Amino acid sequence: MEQIKEGKAQTKNTASSVTRHPSPSSVNPEGFTPASQSAHDYKKIGLKSGLEIHQQLDTHKLFCNCPSILRNDEHKYEVKRTLNPVVGETGIVDVAAKHEAAQNKDFIYQVYDTNCLVEIDEEPPHTINQEALEIALQIAHLLNCKIFPVTQIMRKTVINGSNTTGFQRTAMIAHDGYIEISTGKISIDALMLEEDSARKVSVNEDGTVTYKLDRLGIPLVEIATGPHMHTPEEIKEAALKLGEILRACKVKRGLGTIRQDVNISIEGSKRVEIKGFQDPKMMKKTIDLEIERQKKCVEENTCQEEVRNALPDGTTEFLRPMPGAARMYPETDHPLLKISRELMDRTKKNLPKLASEHKSYLSEFGLNDELIKLLLKQNMIEEFKTLLHSCDNHELIAKTLTLFQKEISRKENKELKEINEIFDAHMLESILEKVGKDISSNDVKGIMLKIVQGKTLSEATEKSDVDLRGEAEKLIAEKPGLSQGAYMGLLMGKFKGQVSGKDVSEVLKKIL
Amino acid sequence: METKTFKPGDKVKIQTKSKTWEGLVLESHDSSIILLKLKSGYNIGIREGEILDAEVLAKAEGIKKEKPEIVVDSNLPNVALIITGGTISSRLDSKTGGVIGTDKDDILNIAPKLKEICNPIIVSPFMKMSEDMDPKDWIKIAEECEKYLNDESISGIIVTQGTDTLHYTASALSFFLRNLNKPIALTYSQRSVDRASTDASLNLVCAARYAVSEIAEVAIVGHRDSNDKVCLAMPATKTRKMHTSKRDAFHIINGEPIAEITKEKLIPLKDFDVRLLTKPKLDAKYSDKVALVRVYPGQDPSILEYYEKEGYRGIVLETTGLGHVPTKDSNNNWLPKIKKAILNGMTICAVAGTINGRLNPNVYSAGRDLQKSGIIYLKDMLAETALVKLGWVLAHKKWEVKEKMLENIADEYSPTLHN
Repeated sequence: MEQIKEGKAQTKNTASSVTRHPSPSSVNPEGFTPASQSAHDYKKIGLKSGLEIHQQLDTHKLFCNCPSILRNDEHKYEVKRTLNPVVGETGIVDVAAKHEAAQNKDFIYQVYDTNCLVEIDEEPPHTINQEALEIALQIAHLLNCKIFPVTQIMRKTVINGSNTTGFQRTAMIAHDGYIEISTGKISIDALMLEEDSARKVSVNEDGTVTYKLDRLGIPLVEIATGPHMHTPEEIKEAALKLGEILRACKVKRGLGTIRQDVNISIEGSKRVEIKGFQDPKMMKKTIDLEIERQKKCVEENTCQEEVRNALPDGTTEFLRPMPGAARMYPETDHPLLKISRELMDRTKKNLPKLASEHKSYLSEFGLNDELIKLLLKQNMIEEFKTLLHSCDNHELIAKTLTLFQKEISRKENKELKEINEIFDAHMLESILEKVGKDISSNDVKGIMLKIVQGKTLSEATEKSDVDLRGEAEKLIAEKPGLSQGAYMGLLMGKFKGQVSGKDVSEVLKKIL
Repeated sequence: METKTFKPGDKVKIQTKSKTWEGLVLESHDSSIILLKLKSGYNIGIREGEILDAEVLAKAEGIKKEKPEIVVDSNLPNVALIITGGTISSRLDSKTGGVIGTDKDDILNIAPKLKEICNPIIVSPFMKMSEDMDPKDWIKIAEECEKYLNDESISGIIVTQGTDTLHYTASALSFFLRNLNKPIALTYSQRSVDRASTDASLNLVCAARYAVSEIAEVAIVGHRDSNDKVCLAMPATKTRKMHTSKRDAFHIINGEPIAEITKEKLIPLKDFDVRLLTKPKLDAKYSDKVALVRVYPGQDPSILEYYEKEGYRGIVLETTGLGHVPTKDSNNNWLPKIKKAILNGMTICAVAGTINGRLNPNVYSAGRDLQKSGIIYLKDMLAETALVKLGWVLAHKKWEVKEKMLENIADEYSPTLHN
């Protein structure tokens, strides 16, 4: 078996990485150099480029109630299936489908106990996930899009096996929006809500392909920009802006939860879609090499609309012809999807803030840049807001949410996720409410550590019953004439973990 | 502009406040919504009230279809493919957006391997969903079958139908076609043929393998499990639809598979009736004055009087447990009404409401009391098979009903249990 290294698959992912993990999931700004240094004069060659972004939403699956959890453990059972070339809605076999049909037809699907009959194509899809629809609508609002009052869930024929059905369910939700970047407005042509595909596991000796079904059906929002970016710098800026907007909504974080495709054409060539960027730093090189390839096509008059796969060295390989309209036909298991005025208004009213807006909000509390960055990165804004009610030390709140937990995770050699789970908002609220009453702000980190070590909150906050003054006097009487530091060391050693250095030093100061 | 002038298939340009759209008009079930197929392939809806201006760019054209070339290979046997509707013959209608019957030969598109096994001769006596079928349709199919069973150039028959009532049709053909001389395979699909994952592809190929085999029995041929690997040939009178949506919806009840079939080969799993050179006899008399009644706790037995009044001649009762109905300790004692109905000439048969297993009225007193009423216990016969058989038996005026109902005519009783 040959293991597949797939750009969009997260083979190293654990289930934890799909819950809440910080990640800079947008295109890396380092991937671009100024236009002046590049190999091409983009304006002169008429570079037209658009982005297609696929972002997983942080909800259960789109057409069933199964959780959107990625699995790396053993599957429950396997299903073997064949996909057949079929005639589409208009009576024509789509060119892309034909191409795929000529290849592998037999597939093996690994099924988990977090899958149901919908994912294995043994039951019609359930009603569309309402939460996912609302998140998609929020994103549409943030992208200044117009929302379709009536749309239809479509089946996009995909017969490479990555969908058990032989198609991907997708619906165009909104159109004609824009984002603003430094060089002007970038149009958003369309926003789709669709289901994610299955993850490829391996290509087997007999030519069959094995997929696992954990990812199949996770809600995705696809955003397609207009072909209005004329330099790689604009692509970068637009990608960063889109990333910021997406991360303000309830989307999944971490490797593989966002995927970018780039559409490229130059004067005289045809549109080519490049998929599977493994390393964002390679984007510029890939675009430059693709321009080179297209220049040659224009000369040889061999341009065609096609989908290409980005390779690690910056070159691309042919994947399949560009799918046409014949590839799409309605999902007959669903009625028309109507989006009411009420739903549009409700989603518009409760729009989340962007990171840049959060930043200015947080700086009002006098937090330093590092803490603000950590709160944003770890998506702790809501928790911060909640805890403001239980404590007026803003910096302490921010630290309990971020720095302290990181430190404890390192010290105790435990996953940050595990620590995060212990200190949910409720637990932190209980701790912070004691500050200034039973405990001092300096005690908080120590209390948190004790809790991780297995103590209950009340055990952890219990005042030490050591008679520090009496013990100190006894020690000075036994061993007179030592320095304050030496007494301190002896006392700390004797009552390890029960007393704080600060308390000991205060007592000694008073006596000596 | 009057939007009513749009016809499905027209290429149009529609101007709304937000944008000008170009696309193909699809038939919309909501008259206030214009459904448009965009160049990207996505369908979107535009409310009629939003349209500011509209223009037809091109009138609807007939849809050009890629038709499979039918090449007859004289070295291959001919198989009659009788298509009657159902999911296996349903495809999306681009005009209405709903599901409609396919062109007859669409079916070959999805199972190209079928043509490596046989030359299919496609006929279609009618097209309907199986829930809409009735005994007259069973008779039509049986008559169509008889024609091909008597045609020496035809090796075997495949019948395709919707799954919902396929097992009723299978039973009917088993009783209607006496001295069967060739294989008859009934097959289906649970996923429509316009999707790449359709189960029809394997089912049809396996049905073709069965139709050219030596087994002269009626069988339901379909997925053994969720994999697209193996089909079973299931005995027509001992098989029932047991799942609403799975590929392996049909299960054998109180019986054994006839054969296991893959795309490559057929392996018989038991002794079977072989092909005959003699002619079959069509005996498709049927009385539809028969009913299937499921017994449940507290049920009012007056339902029997209703059927009597409506002129029914036979009732199959799906009884509880080993063959029981509510008796003297119940507020609704069924025994007097059953006895009265039987005295008035009604035939009442008992089958197992549990689906699986065999009746045994001797175990409990309730069963022993019921036995005395004259009810006919149908041992391990399926309720659906019993209904079909009762309608067939009652249509033969000279037959002794009880004797015929208990005779094992089409393997409706398991041989090991038939005593």
